[in-house]
Amino acid sequence: MFDVFIDQFWQLTVSGLALGFIYVLIALGYTMVYGVLRMINFANSEIFMWGTFGAIVASRDLFNYNQTSEPATGGKLALVLIVQLFVAMAFAGLTAVLVEFVAYRRLRARGTNRLATLISAIGMSMVLSEVMRILTHSRPVGSPRILEKVILTEVWGAQIRLDTLITILAAGAIFIILERFVKLSRMGKAIRAVSMNEDAAKLMGINLNRVITVTFLVGGLATGAAAFFYVTVFEYTKFNIGFTMGLAAFTAAVLGGIGNIRGAFFGGIVLGLAEVYAASILGTQWKSVTIFVVLVLVLLFKPSGLFGEAVTQTRA
Amino acid sequence: MNKKIQGSAALVAAAALAFGAFASAPASASVKTYSLAYQGPLTGGEASTGIDEQNAVKYAIKVFEAANPNIKINLVSVDDEGDPAVASKVAPGVGTNRKIIGLVGPAYSGATIASLPYYKAGNLTVISPSATRVSLTDPKSPTAKSDYGRPIFHRVVATDDKQGPALAKFATKGVSSPKVFVFDDQSSYAVPLRGYVEAAIKKISGASVVGSGDSVINTTTDYSPTIAKIKSSGANVVIYTGYYSAAAIFVKQLRDSGSTAVFAGGDGVFNQEFAKLAGKSAEGARLTGVAGLADVDAKLEADFKAKIGVSSGVYAVESIDAANIFLSGIKNGKTTRAAMNKWVKAYNFKGIAGATIKFNQHGDISEGGFAGFLVTGGKLVNQGPVA
Repeated sequence: MFDVFIDQFWQLTVSGLALGFIYVLIALGYTMVYGVLRMINFANSEIFMWGTFGAIVASRDLFNYNQTSEPATGGKLALVLIVQLFVAMAFAGLTAVLVEFVAYRRLRARGTNRLATLISAIGMSMVLSEVMRILTHSRPVGSPRILEKVILTEVWGAQIRLDTLITILAAGAIFIILERFVKLSRMGKAIRAVSMNEDAAKLMGINLNRVITVTFLVGGLATGAAAFFYVTVFEYTKFNIGFTMGLAAFTAAVLGGIGNIRGAFFGGIVLGLAEVYAASILGTQWKSVTIFVVLVLVLLFKPSGLFGEAVTQTRA
Repeated sequence: MNKKIQGSAALVAAAALAFGAFASAPASASVKTYSLAYQGPLTGGEASTGIDEQNAVKYAIKVFEAANPNIKINLVSVDDEGDPAVASKVAPGVGTNRKIIGLVGPAYSGATIASLPYYKAGNLTVISPSATRVSLTDPKSPTAKSDYGRPIFHRVVATDDKQGPALAKFATKGVSSPKVFVFDDQSSYAVPLRGYVEAAIKKISGASVVGSGDSVINTTTDYSPTIAKIKSSGANVVIYTGYYSAAAIFVKQLRDSGSTAVFAGGDGVFNQEFAKLAGKSAEGARLTGVAGLADVDAKLEADFKAKIGVSSGVYAVESIDAANIFLSGIKNGKTTRAAMNKWVKAYNFKGIAGATIKFNQHGDISEGGFAGFLVTGGKLVNQGPVA
């Protein structure tokens, strides 16, 4: 039962980390919005899915790559990857802001309760995924290979591949940038102020709607970056991938303590590793079961998640 | 516009419509229209298989209509996405639409099981070109209560208890001391097929099943745990019993991990689209499937392309045969569901590949087997029958 786990431990760890970092960025999307609005943005999973299509549109339509193209090299490679990243972030960021405008802002202005917004979020999620389903005839869309998946080196029997390395490093960097933004920038402070006490923040002259829009935008950008890494590693997307990825990232956010940015980081990593470890020990069919058992256990003993105190404020 | 004028305008419109219908009637006075249906995945990840099959059904109808100018066939497309959950939503409407007197399909075994109750209730005869799960025609299987399709289910394809050994044999051909890792996608097609494959490998001398296998739902995109298991098991042959869109994702990741093990799949993976989605990683993949129309009759293939506009795809021969059984029934005046069911049960003619099609009491044909295909240069190349 444990032979695969022991034999392939480091390989599994590398894969788990790459997956974990993707979860971290999507989890940021959930956690940022929750911190400010105390609401789960269920549409975040679809924002991710739209981001993956953004990344593919960029390589396919802006640079004319197709399934049979040779991977890019040198300066062209860097250019295509960066444009892909930005387009994915733009797709996701704009979708997030759009969702805020269409589904939440008016409800908020009318002072409806959170349950109404929650339903609205689920509705938006369905609309976004159905629109993409119709656009793509429910078919999977393969991404052209931009980055040759070179095996750089082997450490303790684990292959370090270029795409996984880039994912881990770049996703880590993006996380740090966003975390610093929330912690140090003027806007970040405003976000945290709103999250601590909305009325007090308003009295201090903070433009509430602007802060909320920026929160959605930042959450969307992080989610979009995750979408880019997902496409680079898996070279595939479909209208319904948001559900599985979104649920995992949401779980990661809750695991770390939703509303807590560092919690999202550890939650994402723990979840990514737990998934591959569980799949290797028990079989892939037990993957999801294991994750939710872990989640239930954590919440049983620490209801506010590993990093806790989420209910009171967004912590940076 | 006052109400009176509005009313008379509507009357004129209605009259025009009625007259139009009447005016066009004499030209087609002796033409009778009957409805058949095709069911399979027409959208979604498995759409390629369904579209291939439906094109073949359309071809059979075109040929039939040309030979029988006073019969018109209305083909109803039933899209189940190859998914049991979707099938159980669309099947009730098809089952109660009495105009449909016969159905080619469902393409996939899981979708077939989900649709069967509605077709049994409506006595709608179905002939599947590609559902290979054994229990559909096996009254003794443990799941017979839900799966056994008698009296309405028939198929013109061989079953997975034949495919399993063929796949095992073809996958390990020419590999010295094959160590085989087998995994499925948890579907009602893949799980039993995996069982037949594993049993068959154990019977091949020198070959063995290694590792604990795996069961990976087809919404998965990260196959790294499965690949870790394959590496740890030391397998030199990997067999996947699921469907092509997931197989393409998997085989890319397998090759990216540096593995050179032989990759093989069953008729679920057997689709042109697999080679397209997986690109270079698909090269050398070994698949079991059925001979294409071009293999059977090059002239027929040319005619197919001229009439349909595209080359024939997978299961073209089986789909044409299935459609022809219904079409010949219509020609012989079997235009109700009950009459069609009797016709199909007693059917005993040659199919387009030359073999006799005759169903046994469970709905199976005695002929038929599987051929081996090798992905070469992005195409599925027939290597001949695997006995």
